[in-house]
Amino acid sequence: MTAPGGRPADGLPPGGLPAGSLPSGEDTIVALATPPGRGALALLRLSGPRALDVLRALTGRVSFAPRMATHTRLVHPVTRAPLDDALVTWFPAPRSFTGEDVAELSVHGGVAVSTAVLGACLAAGARPAEPGEFTRRALLGGKLDLLQAEAIADLIDARSQALHRAALEQLDGGLSRRIAALRQECLALEALLAYDIDFPEEDDGPVSPLRIEGAVDALLASLDALLATAPAVPMLRDGAIVVLAGAPNAGKSSLLNALSGEARALVTDVPGTTRDAIEVLLDTPGVPVRLVDTAGLRETTDAVERLGIEVSARWLARAHAVLACGETAAAVHEAAHVVRGMLPAARADVPVLGVLTKQDDARGAGADGTLLRTSAERGTGLAELLSAVQQELGARYGVVEPEVPRLTRERHQAAVRASREELAAFREAWAGGAGVPALIAAVHVRAAVAALDEVIGSVSLEDVLDRLFGEFCVGK
Amino acid sequence: MTSSFSAASLEASFDVLVVGAGHAGTEAAVAAARAGATVGLVTSALETIGQMSCNPAIGGVAKGTVVREVDALGGLMGRATDLAMLQFRMLNQGKGPAVWAPRAQCDRGLYRRAVRTLLEEHAAIHTIQGTVARLLFDGERVAGLETLEGRRFGARAVVLTTGTFGRGKLHIGTDTQIAGGRAGEAASTHLGQQLDAAGLTTLRFKTGTPPRIDGRSVRYDGLVVQPSEVEEHDWSWSYFWDAPRRDGERTRHPAQLPCFITYLEADGKALIERHIGESAMYGGAIASQGPRYCPSVEDKVVKFPHAERHQLFLEPEGHDTTELYVNGLSTSLPAPVQLAVLRSVPGLEEVRVTRAGYAIEYDYYPPTQLDATLQSRAIAGLWFAGQVNGTTGYEEAAGQGVVAGLNAARWVHEREPIILGRETSYIGVLVDDLVTRGVDEPYRLFTSRSEFRLTVRQDNALARLAPIGESLSLYDARERACIDAREAAVREARALAERENITPAQADPLLAGTGTAPLPHAVRIAEVAKRQGVSLGALFTAAGVGRQLAEDVVISAELELKYASYLDKERRAAERLRAMGGLRLPADFEYAALRTLSMEARQKLTARRPETMAQAASIPGVTPSDLQNLVIELERRRRAAAELAG
Repeated sequence: MTAPGGRPADGLPPGGLPAGSLPSGEDTIVALATPPGRGALALLRLSGPRALDVLRALTGRVSFAPRMATHTRLVHPVTRAPLDDALVTWFPAPRSFTGEDVAELSVHGGVAVSTAVLGACLAAGARPAEPGEFTRRALLGGKLDLLQAEAIADLIDARSQALHRAALEQLDGGLSRRIAALRQECLALEALLAYDIDFPEEDDGPVSPLRIEGAVDALLASLDALLATAPAVPMLRDGAIVVLAGAPNAGKSSLLNALSGEARALVTDVPGTTRDAIEVLLDTPGVPVRLVDTAGLRETTDAVERLGIEVSARWLARAHAVLACGETAAAVHEAAHVVRGMLPAARADVPVLGVLTKQDDARGAGADGTLLRTSAERGTGLAELLSAVQQELGARYGVVEPEVPRLTRERHQAAVRASREELAAFREAWAGGAGVPALIAAVHVRAAVAALDEVIGSVSLEDVLDRLFGEFCVGK
Repeated sequence: MTSSFSAASLEASFDVLVVGAGHAGTEAAVAAARAGATVGLVTSALETIGQMSCNPAIGGVAKGTVVREVDALGGLMGRATDLAMLQFRMLNQGKGPAVWAPRAQCDRGLYRRAVRTLLEEHAAIHTIQGTVARLLFDGERVAGLETLEGRRFGARAVVLTTGTFGRGKLHIGTDTQIAGGRAGEAASTHLGQQLDAAGLTTLRFKTGTPPRIDGRSVRYDGLVVQPSEVEEHDWSWSYFWDAPRRDGERTRHPAQLPCFITYLEADGKALIERHIGESAMYGGAIASQGPRYCPSVEDKVVKFPHAERHQLFLEPEGHDTTELYVNGLSTSLPAPVQLAVLRSVPGLEEVRVTRAGYAIEYDYYPPTQLDATLQSRAIAGLWFAGQVNGTTGYEEAAGQGVVAGLNAARWVHEREPIILGRETSYIGVLVDDLVTRGVDEPYRLFTSRSEFRLTVRQDNALARLAPIGESLSLYDARERACIDAREAAVREARALAERENITPAQADPLLAGTGTAPLPHAVRIAEVAKRQGVSLGALFTAAGVGRQLAEDVVISAELELKYASYLDKERRAAERLRAMGGLRLPADFEYAALRTLSMEARQKLTARRPETMAQAASIPGVTPSDLQNLVIELERRRRAAAELAG
């Protein structure tokens, strides 16, 4: 049943939404819309009936032109202490992101300013938004459908161009189209089974079990391929963790800084999340790279320190690749050896790239055997290193093509997995025609379709008939 | 609409008048009568009551289940088939009893006579010969009808079941067009004009029928003989209900006759290709949509040019004639081409044609103009059932007839309407599809149309529908006793299987043939019956229990045992459908103002006005996003209302 739409929309059970999942409609919420601590500017967003009051309290102004940015000074509503010079924009309901009154405050970047302004908004009567609450309000305000809402959440979250593209692709229906195509395949299978029952006396005769089996297997393979896109998602979303390892003064910090200049570095030292390392997010083509340097930190084990190699065991356990750095081939090999010894068994196949640092002489960049020659000072070998990293990541984790629809969210993965399980259950029960009669086992096929519908669309039984009449000459 | 009603001039008055006495009309009349109404049944020729216009077959996949459902609600079709069938086949026999589908060929003459006899057993039904000239109105409300002969009858409800007679036009080739509702019978035009004037939307469908041939001109040697499979099979629960028609343990069926299979071969296909431009359908004479699943032979040749050959079934028309129906050769080619094509077929080299095949175009009223009881939304007191609603098939017509007849009677008596759910019956699926989705080709039932094809089976129609029939007081005391006995027997069969053990010595000979393991020790019969390929009946026999239980009773019990987990899965889906479908959409919902809906959804929802989310979900063009936004809007309103209240 699929039911024709015979199930509630995702997360919205029949008979009412779960208590507590909805905003009361009275609260005005505020949150930092940009990631904390990043960039030159930070954006705070207010939504709810008191958004204008809050704006007035912080600016001392009475009115704002709708949807026009105004440059103004922000002060604390109680202490009147000046906070920042900001651009504020007023979006009266319903023409706003959430459909409610919305204000956006663009303030200077950095934790201190945005925290102070956030505090001022709370003092003026707003409350902190729960995670996803803006999007949820937009959904309830009729501004978004669920897939769009998710895509927007991903856009907001997107720390990298790659995820940004994946999110855009979903917004554009790329995933919907892929799932719709798989659903069509499921329906074609259902049509094969239905044909056998509904038209027992036709010219074409019964459908051969081999044909049904072929259809099931092809579908299982397609679903597996789509499921296989899921593991790359965290890497796309958060970046591939590439850890620098090497002796003190092996040039790791310089390399990190140089690479940050080569590629656009998005993140530096996010407080509270990565206290044990210096971390930059390199927005490279392909998979974004989170370059991690644990130089000079005391997290290394005694044993490693004795070996004179700096690397954090904690980060190695999560690494997607490791750069073993050293000024000489011997130093690089030593670093690589230590790293391999420390990698947990489950990650024994993590690529370890040997990198020669401080190759500042005229020989310039290039490979030296299996080692990459780099010079942070001259800026040579950096592009080659980045591309080698991409290659290794591709070889190890599969080529990540950002435009391919992928299962970016757990909900999609669960639905596709459920669909796959139902088809596998069909295959097992039907057992090539020797088990449960096909049309009874077809309950699983319908459930497989319904699972895909959870993501995109309601089943129309008419679709099955369309498949059927296109393929068979029926007419007794 | 002008008032045309004057009680003084009426010849008689009824609660319900039924126009047309085909498969919809006769069932509507009987259902209304059983529901306590007085009924007038009007037809242009009493001799054609229960006429089978096309294929002389009843039943088939899904349709056979409808026959059993009609029967469970006290209808005629199963009983008439028992009295008229000359061949029976249980389709899908090799695929397990869960998907068995009974199908019978009938003697047309016997079928007509059986229907009329059974109909006239209902004292409350009066049969009237006449062609309806117009409906009579009392204000806005239907009040009766007047025939071309000038007879006037009063009624509080009228059920229209005029089949293909509404401005019917027969086509044979591109040049021959005859006004008619069936070969040899006049079309009806007056009523259609009146309904047009009343503002009802009328569209055209077409369908076709094959030529009939003289059986004495057929060379049978070399044709594949298809004998009747199960002469003893009963269609009707009248096995319990109508003792006088029984012969010992069984219903008295007529003598059985075989069908024959032959083929349209390459030379016949070539002939059709050569003359395709002369076909009414392909030559441009007909533009309206025909049924895909019942294609003309022209369609088959054009759409499947690579098919080597097409099967043709030669089916006897009756015991009293040698005439044969050429199933598979529906055509609107000119008569001389039809003859040439027939004579290209092995066995028909010297065939004589008795009646030419033809295509027929006819009026239908898009059923989205009806409510869930098949009553017109525009004209109070007027019901539509059968082919006028854009369906095909005797069984689909009969099912609608029952729904319209029951509801017309209940409406007259100011009682709650009765709506059969999709999860209770194929009739429920049929009516729901019609009024919510509408039709874009003549509608036929398939198992694929039902979400509940495991739960809704031919063997359990009585169990599904008797409680409803009971609540509507459709049965007399004797019928009730028989229903109770049948249900008790099914319960007893299940209890027996759960209670009794079977020993390895008894079971292993049976199990040896199925490839499943021998029993380690005595085991409950129910456990063993869950294995594939092991029948409960055989286990009972081997264990020496349950001899008193009828075969169909044991099959019902077996299916519930064997496929319990699948039935559960389907029932859970049904629960979800009910829960979601239960969300009611207010009648005054302003879809046009709901800007979160797609433009198409706004238009379709405004036009169809679904009563529930389930109905909204089944409207093509309404997307999941639309449904989700509808749910959100409903929730928003619920909260707003709650806020106001509290």
